[in-house]
This record gives sequence, structure tokens and C-alpha cells, in this order.
Amino acid sequence: MERIGVFLCWCGANIASTVDVHQVVEWLRDVNGVAHAENYMYMCSDPGQELIKKAIREKNLTNVVVASCSPRMHEKTFRKAASLEGMNPYMVEIANVREQCSWVHQGDKDAATRKAFNIIMSTISKAKANNPLETIRVPITRRALVVGGGVAGMTAALELAEAGYYTALVERDDTLGGKMRRLSRTFPYHEDASAVIAPKIEELKANDNIKLYLRSDVTEVSGYVGNFQVTIETRPTEGEDGAPEVVTEEVGGIVLATGYDLYPVAAMSEYGGGKVPDVIDGLEFEELLKESLATGAPVKRPSDGKEVESVVFIQCSGSRDPEHHKPYCSRVCCLYTNKQATLLTQQNPGAKALISYMDIRTDCKLTEEYCQGNIEEKGLVYIRGRVSRLYREGDAVRVWTADTLTGEKLEIDADLVVLAMAIEPSVGAEQISKMFRAAVDTNGFLQESHIKLRPVESSTMGVYLAGAAQYPKDITDSVSQALATASKIQSMFASDELHQDPLVALVNPEVCAACGLCVPICPYGAREVDERARFSRVNEALCQGCGACVAICPNKACMLKNDTPMQVLNQIHTFLGKEEPAQ
Amino acid sequence: MQPTSNRVMVIGGGISGISAALDLADAGTEVVMVERLPSVGGRMLQLSETFPTLDCAQCTLTPRTVETGQHPNIKLLTYSEVVEMHGEPGNFRVKIKRKAPRVNWDDCTGCGACQEKCPKLVTTNFFERGVGTKKAIYTLSPQAIPNKPVIDAENCRYLTEGKCGVCSKICPVGAIRYDQEDYYVEEEVAAIVVATGFDLYPMEAMGEYGYGKIPDVIDGLAMERMCSASGPTAGEVRRPSDGKVPQSIVFIQCVGSRDPEHHKPYCSRVCCMYTAKHARLYKHKVHDGKAFLLYMDIRSTGKGYEEFIQQSTEEEGLIYLRGRVSRIYREGEKIVVWGADTISGEALRIDADMVVLATAIVPNPEQKALAEALGIETDEHGFLTEAHYKTGPIDTVSKGIFIAGCAQGARDIADSVAHGSAAASRAQAFLARLRRSAA
Repeated sequence: MERIGVFLCWCGANIASTVDVHQVVEWLRDVNGVAHAENYMYMCSDPGQELIKKAIREKNLTNVVVASCSPRMHEKTFRKAASLEGMNPYMVEIANVREQCSWVHQGDKDAATRKAFNIIMSTISKAKANNPLETIRVPITRRALVVGGGVAGMTAALELAEAGYYTALVERDDTLGGKMRRLSRTFPYHEDASAVIAPKIEELKANDNIKLYLRSDVTEVSGYVGNFQVTIETRPTEGEDGAPEVVTEEVGGIVLATGYDLYPVAAMSEYGGGKVPDVIDGLEFEELLKESLATGAPVKRPSDGKEVESVVFIQCSGSRDPEHHKPYCSRVCCLYTNKQATLLTQQNPGAKALISYMDIRTDCKLTEEYCQGNIEEKGLVYIRGRVSRLYREGDAVRVWTADTLTGEKLEIDADLVVLAMAIEPSVGAEQISKMFRAAVDTNGFLQESHIKLRPVESSTMGVYLAGAAQYPKDITDSVSQALATASKIQSMFASDELHQDPLVALVNPEVCAACGLCVPICPYGAREVDERARFSRVNEALCQGCGACVAICPNKACMLKNDTPMQVLNQIHTFLGKEEPAQ
Repeated sequence: MQPTSNRVMVIGGGISGISAALDLADAGTEVVMVERLPSVGGRMLQLSETFPTLDCAQCTLTPRTVETGQHPNIKLLTYSEVVEMHGEPGNFRVKIKRKAPRVNWDDCTGCGACQEKCPKLVTTNFFERGVGTKKAIYTLSPQAIPNKPVIDAENCRYLTEGKCGVCSKICPVGAIRYDQEDYYVEEEVAAIVVATGFDLYPMEAMGEYGYGKIPDVIDGLAMERMCSASGPTAGEVRRPSDGKVPQSIVFIQCVGSRDPEHHKPYCSRVCCMYTAKHARLYKHKVHDGKAFLLYMDIRSTGKGYEEFIQQSTEEEGLIYLRGRVSRIYREGEKIVVWGADTISGEALRIDADMVVLATAIVPNPEQKALAEALGIETDEHGFLTEAHYKTGPIDTVSKGIFIAGCAQGARDIADSVAHGSAAASRAQAFLARLRRSAA
């Protein structure tokens, strides 16, 4: 006979102000199989956990149900607390009475109290049928893979190599450095971007722990956290014939640092769609500046080589425009545009720089001071508004805009127009995301697994995110994020084996007809039909317990451990106040 | 050189320090975490919800604080401050002042009876920022890690007047020690991560905004406490002066920020977002309330932030006004906010019930002395200085000492978490180099 302990959390006022926690405990005390029931202000606090441990000890509980917040929050906390008292952690279940009850039924205390009780009863019915489970242990290959040889990828690779781990760095280009190679100077100190990146490239090349794959693409990924197999194809150097070289790397942890591209000028029909000469994007202007800085000659415009005397910089080109282009802010354009205008006035003395903006967003350390200082010292002209149109007029590019601060309409002729184009995920990011099963957000950027607390973890365990592939960010933040991915991988590599949740799929071989429907439905590639044994197997290390195979299996041969169809049906019946069906 | 140990000290138990400590501890490194306050969690513990998802801050934080408290590789020294450092990279000897909680924490079970029975209500407790009270013996939160109280000696009736002694009488294990004194300990570590967080620019410095004279002019952290479901008002927005629910609130951004002539020249990076969040939380609680937001530029540069602002104006009815405030004063029951709308060019007057100032982010006042003790540099504002702006954001001029989070410059939670993890990696790489050179 089960001896179930139920622990109802107030979550401060979050639950207790809507659910009558004392009433629920009263009701629970009369329930068959419930050996202990109590409530407390914060079950997750030290004294709260102590209550659970004490009851397990003193009342010899067989199962624990904690009625509290979502299991995503504290399931781990309570399982750990129970295991410290010798209870198998998988005998602990969470009844979510906050997100699924008190938060959505504020103002109806009676109904919320009854519903909380029903949720708990339903969870008790599930808990009763739980089996003790052991965590799945998988070995770890202590080698890493970094995809992308820009500043983020290089930083991650160097850091891992420094820590002593073999690291493969895959870059599709034939040189390292990524977008930084195209930059002239960096803000706010005007350092030569190539000079900043060059020593890193040398360090990488000299590091024995790093295997460089240039001109290479990842073509296939299999395996799971701690044990990935990654196929890499290397193209022959330009001009050489021959088949691509194919290598498979076995790695335990992966960093995706695939960077960004600029949204194409061609997509901006309002700005001439790339057909107006001398309308270029920010990176093209970086190259003009770079050349000018290298030769000492002034910046010249591409169409006819004329020395540039006036430039209009248009920020938010394609950004912050949910109706036509990208809804998001590209984060770095305000900063680099100010820098570009400043360098222009330095290289072409007397040249006029006019910047069209929506808001000035110089929010990184020192950049506000840098930007304001440049505006004052270099006489940069900022006009708040959106450029409506631009076209060729004689020798110049004519720009139509309105100053939203004065209400004035403006027509400006410039030698050159620089569009601070929106930053978007780099070409090929979608395939990378699919291959590595790393989810993307609505804008195609790789999605972190928690916006606040897991900023560098992807949706797939063992795969981490760094740099602009996750969201536009400056060099500094890309470096910080890359170092953070290296930390996550070092933490993983410090153990001998990984412990994974055993709440995975299970197959009854006697019922399984080896029809194979579960194989393509599995999003994790965890299912395989064993043709000899004639049933479908589960790779427990890959399985994430999503239940897709359970739903599709026509013979009901698949089930999830501690979430069997019978347990689920029982929960529904209990919740609805009906008799439990016969076991 | 033989490193003393495989130990790293993390100074600061906020979300940056916690991220660094957990990563290091998970990697098998011993961590000594030193926190100035009685429990870990830092500023995030004071917050209500977080932008842009409006998730409950404590709910996302407590799994991490619990893990920090229980991790076998983390030694917690809370209510403690670093005072001196000797030695060299790989062999730091750090002297730590352990402030007297006036409670024997070894005996205390965290039952909470002392807090419940203490008759002294303290309105000036730093944590509640004037929004509510704490007792003269208190923990920062009911989920405090560690869950041990401290006595507020300035307000304890026994210590100031020699009478009362209620906590001592009520404590079932006799843990109260009124005569307990500060003491010092020394820890030997190979590397140090400094993650000492931030403070808000004191509103007392903002004379033009009536702070100190008008009780219903509060700062952003006070607004956080007010909105927090587990805070002193249980999440109800009520103005401090008379407890009335404000029908209109003016939120003022860039208070003390971006003002090189009078205050701080820099942008504090998070105010645009938390102000929009505050205004939305207020509108969720007071449906017909009016929320005016005065801004210079709206800076919503993180993932999902621009969309959050868009939604705030289009769907949530927040009223954004571009302008700067010249004067705030009280007139009857109202607070009058005068300024200029820089888009219409017209003078602006709003009669509001409450005003929330997004004051500049500044380093903690203790940070400068700490930096000096550690031999690392600070900038003119007191923020810790990184070794290289672009490629060395975590390193300092001193080998073996790393920096993370808002101690280096204003940043949001996600960036602070990444920074904390980055510091963990730098510290590990440093230890690995020491081991290699010793081998």
C-alpha cells in the first residue's frame, strides 16, 4: 500500500491568495493512501524542503506529491531533496497548481480551491503507478566542435583548446576572422579590426589542440549530448580539382557561432532596391574606409571614384519595420554608423555626414560618451525620421526625409548613401539549425533555451550558441557569450559520464509489429527498427520523452516510463471525478 | 609556480556571481562565494517580473539560489566582505570580514519565529526601499539561501534601548547572540571572480525631481518591490504617502543617466526596458490607470525587446512622450511634472498620482575600496575596467582576477548570466595554465 505525502506550497501569495490551502489539506487528509498532507509558504525554501525530508523519514512515505509551480521550476529541487532521504527521485511528482490554477482563476477562490484539489488528486493517481527509475548514464567524448570561424567561434575554440580539449573548428570560408576581417576600425577606441583579430588567428593556428577545417561545411550530425558524430566536408582549394574530403569528428559538445549577414539592399525597394549607384550597405562602407585608412587617400565613391564630400547614413534600414521588413532592432547599427561618420570626417576633412535615425541606441559601455563626443566634435548631423525615398538625381543621390522633431520636410543630395542594413542570420543558418536540432526564433536566429538564465544553451543538450547567430550583438558581447559556451562545455567535460533523465520511451517487444511508424515521427532520431529481432528499439540517450512515438504507435506498444497510457487515463478520470478504470 | 589550490573565490552572490560559481562548481572546482548581504540572489531577488516575458523573477532565480546553497563544491560566506588580499596569481590569500549576524547560524534552524515575534517594524530597510517594512531581525526573503536571520543593530530595541529581548526569549534553540562581534577569516584561492553588481544613483542627488521631499516619487527598485507578489505590498501598487491606488503614474527615464553636465554621462542600458515593464505591470493591476513614459531615445536592443516596446504602445496603451523633465513638485494631492515634449515642441504638464524615476545604474559604493584591495582598475565612474574592450571583456590587468556582470558596466540579466559563465571559463583556463606550468 502506498504512503503518499502531499506538500502544498503557498508560493507566498501566488497560490495562497487564490487557493484555500488549508481547506485543500483538510480534504487531502481523508484521501485513501495519503499518509501526510501539509502546506507551507515556500516549499522550495530550505525549511520547506526540510518538511518534505522530515515527513519522508518519519512517516516512511513511498511517494511525494508537491503541489506548487510548474515542474520546470523546482521538480529537480524536490527530487533531489527526496533522494537525500533515500527515496527514489522519480517517485516525486509535481502538481502544478500555480500556472494551471491559481494564476488563471484569480477572483474565484471556491472554484480554484476545488480545481487545485482535483489537480492534486489526479497527480496522486499518477504517482501511485510510478516505478523507481535509475538515471541513464552516458559516456562523454571530451572533444569539442565549433561551427563558424568569426570572432565568436574563434574565441570559443581558443578557450576550449587552452583548457586542454581537442577542438575542431569548421569555417566555410578559406580564412578565419569572419565579418571582422571586413571592418575598418572598432568603436569606441578606433582599433584596427584586423590587428585585433590577427593575433587570435595566429594563436589558433599555432595551438596543437585545434584542428582547423577551412572551406568546410558540416553535412551531417548524429548522436547526442556527449557523443555527437559530425561529418565535415572540405572543398579543395580554389583552382584545384578533386573530390571534397570527408571526415567524421566525434565530439561531446558543440558551439554554433555561424554569425550574420546583412539583409540585402535589394530587398529595400523604397531605397532603390540596390539599383541606385552609390547606395551601399554598412559593410561595403567599412571596406571603403579600410582602404582609405590603409592608403591615406580620402574615401571615394564606387560609381566614379569621386572624392566623397557628403554622405547620408540611414539607420534602421530594414530594422524596426514589422510591416515591411524585420521587426527587431539590429543592436549595433547606431554604434557603427556613428563610428563610420566619424572616420569619414577624419579621412575626408570637410565632408558632411548626415545621419537619419529613429532613436539613438548607444547603450554599451562607453558608447554613449563616444557617440555624443563625436557629434559635438565632428559636427555630425542627426536627423530624427525615416527616409521615405531615395533616387538618382544627376550626379547625386537624392534623399527624401522628414525631421520629426521640427516637422520639416527635407530633400538632401549626397555623394554617397550608406544603409545600416538589418542584421539577419547568416546564409545557411537554417540548415545548420535543422542538422543540429537547435531551434530558431521567429526571425531565424538560434533560440536560447531560457531568455534570462540559459542565454547560451540551445534547445538541444550539448549544443551551445555564441555571437550574432543567436541575435545581433557587438564584438564584446559576442566574445563574452563565446567564453560562456566554453564554460558550459568545460563543466560538462569535467565529469566522467552524463546523467540523463530516465523518463524516456519504452517498447513492449511482444506487442510491437516493427511497422516503423515511430522512426520518422521521432524528432530526435532515437528510434530504430531492429530487423532481426523484429521490434523497434529506443536509443535512451537520444530520447527526450516527448511521446510522439506513443501517439503514433498503432499497437500501443510504445509508452513513456512513468507516463504510461494507463497513468494518463487515470489522471483524466480522476480529474473529472470518475472512477478509475480497471488496471 | 605551484597553485595553492584548485579554488576560486567569487565575490558577489548576484546572478552573475551565481552563474560563475555554478559553472565552476559543476566543473569540479571548489568555489568560495563571498556575499555582502545575509543571503545570495542579489538584485534579482528584489525584482518582480522580468522583461520581455514578464516571468516572475524569484521563480526563475530560486532554482539557482537553491542549487548554489546545496552544491557540494560551493562554500558560502554570506554577510561577509573582502577587506584585504595578499599573495600572487595562483596563490591569493584573501582576508574576509564576517559580519556578526548576532544569531548563531550553526544553531539557528530558520524557523522564523524571531522575525514573526519581533515587535520592531523598520521602515528604512535597504532591501524594501521605503516601500514596506522589515523587522529588526530579518531575512531578505522567505526563500533566503541561507535561511538565517540577522539582527539590524541600529534598530533592534534590545541593542539600542536595552529592553525587549523578545527574539532571544522566543528562539527555540537559543541562537540569539546580542553580543556577537565581527570576526575575520582568511581563504586561500588561486583565482578570483569579482561580480559585485550595481546600485542605483541616489535620488537625493536629483534635487530637481523632488526626491526626498515628495514621498510618492520613488525609484525603479522601489517600484519592483511594490510590484512583487512576494513584496511588502503583496504586489499591489499603492503610493507610499497615503496608500491610495495611483490613477496615473509618470515614469521618467534617463534620470541621472546621459547627463554629462550634471550627473552621469553614460546610458544605463536597462532602464528603457524595465520602465516599459513597470508601466505594463501597473496597467495590468490598475486597468484604467494612465501610464506616461518620458524618454530621450527608446533603447530596446535585446532579443524580443523592440517587439515588447511595440506591443506596449500598440496594445497596452502606454503613452510615450519624448522629452526631458524640468521640475517636479507637489500640488495638493497631485504631483506636477513639468517638461517639454520635444516632438511637438510644446511645454508639458502632467498632474500625476505617483512618479517613478529610472535612476542611473552605478557601481556599489564599496566597489572602489574592493578594487583597490584586489589591485584592479576602475574607471572614473567606479566600474571595473576590463583588459581589452573588445577581446578581453572579462579579464583585468591582474592575472587571475576576472570581472563579471554590472560591476563592469550596466547590463541586463541575460548578459550578466553569460558574463558570469564567461568568467568561470576564464578562471578555469587560468587554473589549467597554472597546472600545466607546474607540471
